[in-house]
Amino acid sequence: MADDTEDVELDFAADEQERARRSAVLRHPLASFFHLFFRVVAIVAYLLCDWISENFAPCFVLIITLLSFDFWSVKNVTGRLLVGLRWWNQIDDDGKSLWVFEAKKASRGNNIGTEAEARIFWLGLIICPLIWTFFFFTSLFSLKIKWLSLVVASISLQVANLYGYLRCKAVGEDGQPADSRSFTGQHLLQRPDIIFGIL
Amino acid sequence: MAASDEASRQFAGLSDVSISEDIPVEGDISVPLGPSSRQRDDEFSTLDEPVKETILRDLRAVGSKFIHVLYPKRSTALLRDWDLWGPLLLCVTLALLLQGGAADSDDQGGPQFAEVFVIVWFGSIIITLNSKLLGGTISFFQSLCVLGYCIMPLTAAMAVCRIVLVGGAGKVSFAVRLVVVTLSFGWSTFASTAFLGDSQPPGRKALVVYPVFLFYFVIGWMILTFSPSQ
Repeated sequence: MADDTEDVELDFAADEQERARRSAVLRHPLASFFHLFFRVVAIVAYLLCDWISENFAPCFVLIITLLSFDFWSVKNVTGRLLVGLRWWNQIDDDGKSLWVFEAKKASRGNNIGTEAEARIFWLGLIICPLIWTFFFFTSLFSLKIKWLSLVVASISLQVANLYGYLRCKAVGEDGQPADSRSFTGQHLLQRPDIIFGIL
Repeated sequence: MAASDEASRQFAGLSDVSISEDIPVEGDISVPLGPSSRQRDDEFSTLDEPVKETILRDLRAVGSKFIHVLYPKRSTALLRDWDLWGPLLLCVTLALLLQGGAADSDDQGGPQFAEVFVIVWFGSIIITLNSKLLGGTISFFQSLCVLGYCIMPLTAAMAVCRIVLVGGAGKVSFAVRLVVVTLSFGWSTFASTAFLGDSQPPGRKALVVYPVFLFYFVIGWMILTFSPSQ
């Protein structure tokens, strides 16, 4: 084939960048930071509010705002960047609601996070709902019902992301179909898992 | 002959056989949501300024939904791209505005902060369950989205009431507040039925609209009976 004997330009700068990128401990330091930032600050705020016994309302608003930002950033940004997973809900033309869970196939050209980042991602995703569950029981047994409503809201926000990403992970681990490469060419294969649900 | 038979048998079941160049091959990967998944692919690959763009896109979506509530007409805008940011913002605003009366004490000045949240969110959840059990085609979060956004007129009425109450709490102010709250309650109910209307089975519309009516009535009642603590 004539293509094999053509001169190919070697781009050393890009190669070095590529190598530096691949050997970095954290490829997305900002994303990793923000992944943990909102969750941890929300937990700290809850503890401080509980012990200092400030006004309930501003505390509630602050924590819910932090957790909403956390929900949005984990769902839309850090999941994509750190572990290459994504999930969303889509409304069909006939009004049916579809939940789509996607996992990016690991391949050389990827900018998915390193192992350290994946660990940060999953630890943050799992530990924080556990801490909120603990808060649920402490506020339940100390009969602080106002705070219970806050904790329930927080748990639902955190568990939603956890559940979504666990499903994405399950999609990713299902293995690739045998004929994946002949269809994709240069595209990274993304295998979504589509659920038609009642939600 | 035998060799070519064998060759064709070999190739018969294979799905990853390479295709020769003169046969054009095209098609979608088997994702039923073809066009939108390609859109998502672009999102994935254009990571230059994804966060800012995503934020702006979401903000624009929220803003457009608010505008749709301002001028309610039969449309699917709120339903197609649901989001819960608007309801959250409105709920927080309403709860904060209803706050001045009680201020952490258990007086009858105003509902406690968490009560407003619980009423709004659990009320919406129950209405959604009701409409789903009656056979509605709308999804859970779409319904929450519509009900939440349509609280906007009542929140505006609350703001107006607070302003009116600054001037005094006599009969005139009560009359003004009554008119304002009634108008906004009608507006909210009308807007939500305009958006939810098409998704309900015919003949069951009244059964679905009634809880919505009740829901906004309760919120309107909370607003009307709010009195600031002296």
